[in-house]
Amino acid sequence: MKTIVAITLKGIFRDKVFQGIMVTALMFLFIPIFASLSMRQVTELTITLSLSLISFILLLLSVFLGGTSLWKDIERRYTFSVLGLPLSRRSYLLGRFGGTALFVIIAASVLGIAAFCVVAYSSSIYPSDRPIVWGSMILCILFDALKYILLIAFAFLLSTVSTSFFLPVFGTIAMFVTGGVTQQVYEYIHSPASKTLSPFLKQTATALYYIIPNFGAFDLKLYAIYGLPLPANGLLMTSAYFVVYVGLLLSVSSSIFTRREMR
Amino acid sequence: MNAIETVSLSKQFTGKKRARVEALKQLDLQVAPGEVFGFLGPNGAGKSTTIKLIMGLLRPTSGSASIMGMDVAQAASRRVVGFLPENPAFYDYLSAEEYIRFVGSQFNMDASLLNRRTEEVLKRLDLWEARKRQMRGYSKGMVQRVGLAQTLVHDPEVYILDEPMSGLDPIGRALVKEIILDLKKRGKCVFFSTHITDDVEKVCDRVGVIVQGQLRALDSVENIMRSGIEGYLVQTRQHVGNQAALQEFKAIRSNEQFVEYLVPVAQFQEFMALVGESSVEITLLETKRRDLEAFFLDIVENGKSA
Repeated sequence: MKTIVAITLKGIFRDKVFQGIMVTALMFLFIPIFASLSMRQVTELTITLSLSLISFILLLLSVFLGGTSLWKDIERRYTFSVLGLPLSRRSYLLGRFGGTALFVIIAASVLGIAAFCVVAYSSSIYPSDRPIVWGSMILCILFDALKYILLIAFAFLLSTVSTSFFLPVFGTIAMFVTGGVTQQVYEYIHSPASKTLSPFLKQTATALYYIIPNFGAFDLKLYAIYGLPLPANGLLMTSAYFVVYVGLLLSVSSSIFTRREMR
Repeated sequence: MNAIETVSLSKQFTGKKRARVEALKQLDLQVAPGEVFGFLGPNGAGKSTTIKLIMGLLRPTSGSASIMGMDVAQAASRRVVGFLPENPAFYDYLSAEEYIRFVGSQFNMDASLLNRRTEEVLKRLDLWEARKRQMRGYSKGMVQRVGLAQTLVHDPEVYILDEPMSGLDPIGRALVKEIILDLKKRGKCVFFSTHITDDVEKVCDRVGVIVQGQLRALDSVENIMRSGIEGYLVQTRQHVGNQAALQEFKAIRSNEQFVEYLVPVAQFQEFMALVGESSVEITLLETKRRDLEAFFLDIVENGKSA
């Protein structure tokens, strides 16, 4: 499995899509200029823009690398030769996923370092009233990376059942959008404002809330931007949620992929 | 223990409008260790389906398959196999050398052995010069040669090759035949599919012919060739011995130096006896036979059962 992880990483680094997406990272250079245009809370805005840019780049990488990795292997017939080796399909799938997830962590780390440099530069010119909590920023980027690894696990699940790239790519985008609002929807349907909704709709929405991933739980941007104290219990719960959810998704993906006919 | 064995192996696909397509019907096949087995069949006959079932890429509808006694459902069964898929494709962002090393690592090869074997196979397949280039820049023939190299690197006991000569130029084809003959000499089992009868005739011990998912013939190449003998072309020297003794046999060609006869198998003994009695000098004796292609075409076109 380690060799599949290594091959996956090599493939990503040599991929033109990845190289194209990483050009987006050049936008970091312009963040201090954009932030200074606000004339107030420049450091906070720099942190916001930096974290949002990281999130955007990781989203692109997750959708395009996660959604096409397995599908491309099947479409281009790489699987015929690789699965002809003494390698179980489960190991192959987990290796591909592991390589992509590891890449997201590497990309988040590199982008995080760029973000720290930009924030440090910006705060040296426009000092903030609030202290910059670097630890919160690190955790914010880490949980963002976890969020996108969870999204990649979804992309892999969709790839195991799909014969085209439409479902893995667009399904992953749809899942990202839906997963970002489930918390708000859940809170709305359990608030007095939703009393006009039918019980069936409420039950369906509640059921979906438990099925669809809750990406909102991984968003720590506000804590990082305003240096608010992080809820330790919440982070622990979110970490456990991540492990269980990814574990379930990979188990189902492995099971489907093991049974898939390579025609 | 057979190198490859299938027992009532069948595969059905669901086609358009849920129509059931029987791609393989009750295939019983045993290939012995050290045997070179040619799997012949026209396009769409079920050759690749059979190979994919043996390699665990497809799941049988019924029946079973094993490699060296191990069920093909287990990944470990592929530990003794070198597999070349039809029209192979490999991670094109890797170089040939990187890919061969990757394959070797899957067989837990020792690093120094892997280095040595990688160099050997790349040189043998004439890929040494191009070994550092990414495979996305390779020609079809070069990719096919990488495919063969990756089957050889770990020196397995069983080789399963789906159309190994496909996409190769005459030099490449000759090289592949040479490799198969070398494997045969070293006691390896080679199972390969093709629709080119000449390849089978030159390198195989046994041949199976599959048509419409059914094994229609299974015999040794030697038996097939022997059964295909139609007669003998005998050339005698003119004006030597008593040529008149052979007059009951019709000469097919004659000139100042030679006379040529086409003698049916049934009359060959009689002909040779007359030659001995009449002191005629034989200058050439050649077997006239139907080649494997004619045998193959008969089976395909007439559904003749062996």
